[in-house]
Amino acid sequence: MRDKKYRFLSQPRRVVEDRRFVAGKGHYIADYDHADMAHVALMPCHLPAARIDAIDASAALAMPGVIDVVTGAELAAAIDPLMNGLDTPKVRRYPLAVGQVRYAGEWVCAVIAESRAIAEDAIEHIRLETTALPFVLDPEQALRDDSPPVHPDHNSNLLLDKKFVWGPVDDDFAAADHQLDFCVTWGRNSTVPIETFGVVAEWNAWAQMLDIRASVQMPKYADQIARALGLAGNQVRVHYDIDVGGSYGVKRGIKHAVLTGYLALKLHRPVRLIEDRLENMRAGDAHGPERKFDVSVAFDKDGTVRSMKMRALDNAGAYAGRAPFQLGKPIGAIVGPYRIGSVAYQAISVTTNKAAQEAVRGFGQAPTNYALETAMDRVAAFLDMDRLALRQHNLIKADEFPYLIPSGSTYDSGDYHTVIDKVMAAADYPRLVATCNQLRKDGMMAGIGIAACLEPSGGNASFEPLLNESNQTTTWMESCQINIDALGAVTARIHTTSSGQGHETLVSTVIGEILGIDPDSIRVVRPNSLESLPGNSPVGSRMAIMLGGAAARAAEKLKAKILAIAAHHLQCDAANIDYQGGAMLSANGRHITWGDIIELAHRQIHGLPDGMDPGLASFDIMQVPTGGDLPKDGKVHMYPCYSFEFHLVLVTFDPIIGKPEIRSYTIGHDCGTVINPAIVSGMTYGGIAHGIGAALLEEFAYDESGQLMTQSFLDYLMPSSHEVPDIQLVKHCTPSPHTVFGQKGSGESGYLGAPAAISSAINHAVAGLNISFDKLPIRMSVISDKIAAATQHRSDSE
Amino acid sequence: MKINFSGKETIEVAPQTLWDAVIDPEILQKVVPGCREMRAVGEAEYIMAVDLKVAAVGGSFEGKIALFDMKSPSRCQITVSGAGTLGTGNGTASVVIADAGDGKSTISYEADGDVGGLVAGVGQRVLMGVVKHLTRQFFTSLKKQFTSPSSA
Repeated sequence: MRDKKYRFLSQPRRVVEDRRFVAGKGHYIADYDHADMAHVALMPCHLPAARIDAIDASAALAMPGVIDVVTGAELAAAIDPLMNGLDTPKVRRYPLAVGQVRYAGEWVCAVIAESRAIAEDAIEHIRLETTALPFVLDPEQALRDDSPPVHPDHNSNLLLDKKFVWGPVDDDFAAADHQLDFCVTWGRNSTVPIETFGVVAEWNAWAQMLDIRASVQMPKYADQIARALGLAGNQVRVHYDIDVGGSYGVKRGIKHAVLTGYLALKLHRPVRLIEDRLENMRAGDAHGPERKFDVSVAFDKDGTVRSMKMRALDNAGAYAGRAPFQLGKPIGAIVGPYRIGSVAYQAISVTTNKAAQEAVRGFGQAPTNYALETAMDRVAAFLDMDRLALRQHNLIKADEFPYLIPSGSTYDSGDYHTVIDKVMAAADYPRLVATCNQLRKDGMMAGIGIAACLEPSGGNASFEPLLNESNQTTTWMESCQINIDALGAVTARIHTTSSGQGHETLVSTVIGEILGIDPDSIRVVRPNSLESLPGNSPVGSRMAIMLGGAAARAAEKLKAKILAIAAHHLQCDAANIDYQGGAMLSANGRHITWGDIIELAHRQIHGLPDGMDPGLASFDIMQVPTGGDLPKDGKVHMYPCYSFEFHLVLVTFDPIIGKPEIRSYTIGHDCGTVINPAIVSGMTYGGIAHGIGAALLEEFAYDESGQLMTQSFLDYLMPSSHEVPDIQLVKHCTPSPHTVFGQKGSGESGYLGAPAAISSAINHAVAGLNISFDKLPIRMSVISDKIAAATQHRSDSE
Repeated sequence: MKINFSGKETIEVAPQTLWDAVIDPEILQKVVPGCREMRAVGEAEYIMAVDLKVAAVGGSFEGKIALFDMKSPSRCQITVSGAGTLGTGNGTASVVIADAGDGKSTISYEADGDVGGLVAGVGQRVLMGVVKHLTRQFFTSLKKQFTSPSSA
């Protein structure tokens, strides 16, 4: 079936959503208005750690237009702490600081007023009295016994310390010819969408219903809000028909929704909270992983990498959030695309006085890929071997799939060597090398970067029970409903918001393909959470597999019913009916039209097979393929599908100025069967741009006194069209055996390997100076300073 | 983030006149840039409210000022702590006034401080420039107090 040419799938079709976005007709949270709306602004405390002695809001409350001021103490008395997921009950988190401030910029109270402007002005009149407390920013320091605990009740900064040994690590290290140790650090960066987070909460006391509209990408959102506010699940109604202006993980919005939900319940007013950039950057869900890797690799003279020990120390920031679990997902691809036979992995998550970290594209995979690819480059340099040849030597071969890795996941399929060959040809590798050499001759620094990596996709939650035994989550389902109305039009329902993934295009394409009707005639709607079937939102690069899978399965159920009606009408066996394009069904010259089927299903039960229900509707609740087992002996199979990407870049810079310019960028990408080429390419291009930011520019940097130095786009630098080069995308398709069409995930593509590739190129450029860059982002100031120190350039001239 | 700065100015009045001026809240209100309010709340303790523009950001700051180790007319220590939309700030300055002869004085100061919030995050790149500018403005206004006939 996979070999057959699809009619709509994989075809260059327009993305349904793009039409309204390009025309400026998206409907975002800020577009949702209400005549009686109350507005929230949040007052920060700028100390990294402080006891809250007093909050005097009397002057603010006396201002015209100010409705209320709510503190953390009031909230803590009224609501439950936010969900944590770990066994750390004393690391409590509320939407506002309770008793103690734990990072600079943390919100200490919320001002509710008739307008946002009034609320902001009122903040100036609130008197906050605090006593500064000792603080800690560095994760290694935070682990020490003498470190101030960020949560005194928890009495330690350790959230998680899990050690895994998969396979004969000690034996492999003892037997290997060589061992190499290094340390690299992934800087605290994120995805930073243009639209900050926003939420509107409305409480209808007569219906006992809390309506939530939010710019959100958060699994189990309604459940979490209900739990924190002590409401029944059916008293919270999250509306999914709000366009989300970017996310890639960070639009968690749970503290915001719980806060505004509480305010709406208290004030009996619709309440709106839309972060400004400062609220977002300092204390929204803006920050992603910050991780230090200590890596040892054991390898032989011929370049065979036998074993790896990895210690990953993650700076979670002030609260648990989702940070600890972002150490768990990479376990599913801990050896990358390589045949590394054994692995020891230590995952440590530690609290510090920085903003809490949230989920970011790849959920921890991009940092791990960066560490793995650095290992490959270092081993090659040690052996004086070609970096590409070393990788090719260690890559899993196409005939070795399905391939079980030491940590328990089985890779579904792939043909890594072929993808690399295609990239080398497309990029004209010899010419690239010649260009690199010419640049060096001309006095520039130049280097070629390579990175091969995997994108685990089809997200489930297997890492949760692996990291926390009391968590028994083994399903991470997704669902879809389809109805064909009495006029014959098809409407599908999906149960999530979308933040640019093109879910409407995905679902209409898949259903159109199976029912053989034009996807543009299929409407995709988003009911609210109470009208929805269970789902887990677009996380873990899962929707092509899971939402596409549920839509396909629901469509297959409908098609089976259509065929059964046709077979009954034509008095033949359903298997003998030629289902043509949905509009025509024929057998032995007789035929029945789509219109006839609709008429029968909707109006003529006497014409239906005995016992068949009227109407044409179906639904599917799909479990993640291959998932569902609890971990055993520290191992678990995680995601079903593994997309592959190979990056080849040429970076050059002036040795004094140190500003990297990407001269050439080619990526080979294999995500199995592509459902919509424009969406997959867009994800990949965007992912590379995002990766360029992580590699060279973006960091939530704190100074030694705990102040965030990058609070706005003045200092948090994002890649622009100046930094993002033309990208050559080389496609390859190795279908997955586990999904309906052979599709794999692609929502994290590009980002998962670009930082590693760019780091590889810059390090290649400076290898002759015997220096290396071990921390991302590699900013131009660092490049120029380090080269200057290495060449004594600057000291000579001063 | 930490900031520290120091300097020395010559003012064309005798040390005692200068001393009396710099501990007078009414005069301070006139010479501290952006000062909206300066009132005594105790012996050598004041509440100050200023409106400032630092780089791209503007806002208010309210703080407490305390003078101690006062040795009229030659030296004192000043602590400032406060917060506002601009962020937080606190610091200590030591001020020494010396007789420069001819009815003139020199005033030298050394300040160590810590700022947080917007002023640290957004204003960092120009903070020292702004500090210099504000200090210059302060002394220019202070000198004017002694030359302009309308001053007390």
